Amino acid sequence: MARALTTFDSFNAIAEPKRRALIEALAGKELTVNETVELMGWNQPMVSKHLGVLKQVGLVSERKEGRCRVYKLNAAQLKPVQEWVVQFEKYWGSSLDQLGDYLNEIQSRGVKDE
Amino acid sequence: MSDDNEIKVEPTILTREYDAPRLLVYEAWTQVEHLKNWQFPFKGFTCEFVTTDISPGGSTLHKMITPDGHEMWLLTKYEELNPPESLVFRQYMSNEAGDILPNPQMPNWPKELRTTIVLDEEDGKTQLQLIWQPVNPTKEEAEAFEATRADHDKGWGGGLEQLHGYLGTL
Repeated sequence: MARALTTFDSFNAIAEPKRRALIEALAGKELTVNETVELMGWNQPMVSKHLGVLKQVGLVSERKEGRCRVYKLNAAQLKPVQEWVVQFEKYWGSSLDQLGDYLNEIQSRGVKDE
Repeated sequence: MSDDNEIKVEPTILTREYDAPRLLVYEAWTQVEHLKNWQFPFKGFTCEFVTTDISPGGSTLHKMITPDGHEMWLLTKYEELNPPESLVFRQYMSNEAGDILPNPQMPNWPKELRTTIVLDEEDGKTQLQLIWQPVNPTKEEAEAFEATRADHDKGWGGGLEQLHGYLGTL
């Protein structure tokens, strides 16, 4: 499980909560810098900085389309670090919503005790 | 770095109202037959328990399985159980043997987090409070917890469900 510490690898790249939010936003769709600025409500230098880090470790790729740069998630790069998606800051907020759905479900079909 | 015990972090308190009697909500937290059906952050996950001692001083070991087949093990140590009002536990990432693992993805995330569940019943509905607090955090851990506070009550967007679906096709 040990890994060498390098300045920029995927693990470090996703250690920053803003970059995790960015990955979430990029899942399933491509975005330009301007679209990302609008979507996230961050300023352009901040968006560019975080996209730059994600690009450096290969988590996103960039291509030019006219005068725009379009960013796309390389989800395959996330495979080694995918635990992050269920840990940390949003774990309980999300799980409490699952509990609500589950309680509704078992009550609507009648609680059966064994 | 030092003086770890000096650092105080305000707990995060999440609240929910459930249209269910308190006893049922309490059982959902303390019976494996219920826990395995909901204690994960997305639909499509499954949950398997290999040890199940939900009692003061007891522990459970379970794995969450993502829709794309990735497994994560969690160790839960129970401190207090006060049916049907409250329970207190700590949960850790672990391996399948129940050995607690560090989080390489976020090295400064608090190693010890205590979770307290408090349930109140009003008019047939249950008010839940989840109190989440780092235990004896280092300065770095306290800062990491604080930095993400605004996200603690957010669910995942649809984006990550898509991501899981996509990871499953690779």
